[in-house]
Amino acid sequence: MFAIAAVALWCFPLFHFRPLVAPATGAGVADVSSAADKFWNEQLPAARAADVAVVLAALQKNPQTAIKTYACTVGLGAAYFFVSGEGRVVARERNAVRLAVGTGADAPVVELQTGPVFGNTVRDGTGLLDVNRVSSLQDFNALAAELNQRVEARILPALRERAQPGTRVSFTGCAEAVEPVPGQPLLTIVPTRAEVR
Amino acid sequence: MKLPQLPTLVLAFGLASLVVLSGCSRSDSPAAGDGATAKSVAKRVAVIISTLNNPWFVVLAETARDRARELGYEATIFDSQNDPTKESTHFDNVISSGYGAVLFNCTDAKGSVANVRRAKAAGVPVFCMDREIEASDAAVSQILSDNYSGTVALGRYFVKTVGETGTYVELLGLVADTNTWARSKGFHSVVDRYPGLKMVAQQSAEFDRSKALEALDTILQAQPNIDAVFCGNDAMAMGAYQALLAARKADKVRVFGFDGADEVVRSVADGKIAATVMQYPKVMARTAAENADRYLKGVRDFPQRMPVAVELVTRENVAKFGNYGRKE
Repeated sequence: MFAIAAVALWCFPLFHFRPLVAPATGAGVADVSSAADKFWNEQLPAARAADVAVVLAALQKNPQTAIKTYACTVGLGAAYFFVSGEGRVVARERNAVRLAVGTGADAPVVELQTGPVFGNTVRDGTGLLDVNRVSSLQDFNALAAELNQRVEARILPALRERAQPGTRVSFTGCAEAVEPVPGQPLLTIVPTRAEVR
Repeated sequence: MKLPQLPTLVLAFGLASLVVLSGCSRSDSPAAGDGATAKSVAKRVAVIISTLNNPWFVVLAETARDRARELGYEATIFDSQNDPTKESTHFDNVISSGYGAVLFNCTDAKGSVANVRRAKAAGVPVFCMDREIEASDAAVSQILSDNYSGTVALGRYFVKTVGETGTYVELLGLVADTNTWARSKGFHSVVDRYPGLKMVAQQSAEFDRSKALEALDTILQAQPNIDAVFCGNDAMAMGAYQALLAARKADKVRVFGFDGADEVVRSVADGKIAATVMQYPKVMARTAAENADRYLKGVRDFPQRMPVAVELVTRENVAKFGNYGRKE
């Protein structure tokens, strides 16, 4: 009897957990999606990126000056680099490939993300998207998620497949402007363009 | 783990600037012969705050009040006690009493818009702090924590420490507050990518410590084997921790908060709370007060929304934090 009751409760629980849903915001999903398309197809290809080699040299010399010179700031506190360049794959990790930019054993290393993309780096990296042009922060955050999806769907699969050690990768991408950590890549870049040769 | 250093630099620069700007004028009375200050002291600034039943909001309110006083204004704090009706009454009083500006932390992103519009119509500018209102043409400016990126960072740390499989509970804040959902969405934008991490319960505890304690206590009856609790603020994180302590599970279940409240920062250092996210209430409050001052002196060019960077606080970097910000 207990066994039957247990099976019945397992199959037909008395309580059903359903996540709460956030209230709707000003813009609809279609608006956010079309804003992401417009940015991805029109603004991003035309955006001017800094030469990654120049930014890396500046970071090695003086991180604060490099950030002040080459990063764009968003609001109060956050800053991002938008860089372009080329490097040789020196290592593959679970969610990234590491590139040496330049020649020689001491060439600076950057990381190109190949795994899930989170956060606002792509949205804010170029400095072209303004929070005050959308109806709410929620919509602005939804825009970040839309752009991350585009990176994951359109850029990362080929990069993951083809970026093998020794190959060269030409890329454009966005990175959080943070002070380098010793022993770690100077930049962790979310690629918005990548070509493997 | 990489720590964002630039926000610190920018915030430090901002704070240093504030100290320089305010250092010569900290007084409850205007300097003799200073016409502009003499004029502004006649103005009064109201600080209308969602609740003072949470130390984080006390810091927000008192910093806004103190900065307004430093700038030469009479400043008074009004506690809405998380009650939109009380908030509305405060606005009525502020408008009828001739206050010059309102530094505002709302109780309801949608419901509070009418109060802000009423003040605007009466010529009283409103400057939002921390909590967003869902209108872009009512407040003069909105200084807001970047909650979404904060919980993205927290979500990544959650996956790193809890692992890619496990069960967890989410305690939400006020469902009418946009911060609640920005935090929840940022967290889920990361954690939902790992199918092995299952949310077994989600409940609002309204940013309240006691309600979080009660909610988790009840949830634990049905879900005794959870691995973690994600809380939308630090008060709820402490309530959750108390519930786990009472259930003798505090050493098995990781608790994650958001705010950077002093008590939780100490608890992160002690290993009781796994992580929190440091918001900068003092930066937001000071910036709002300074915007009000500039507005009252004729400046009109303010961005509607200004996000303020936040930082993940873990046991690895907790020594750098305290007193609702970075230790300098």
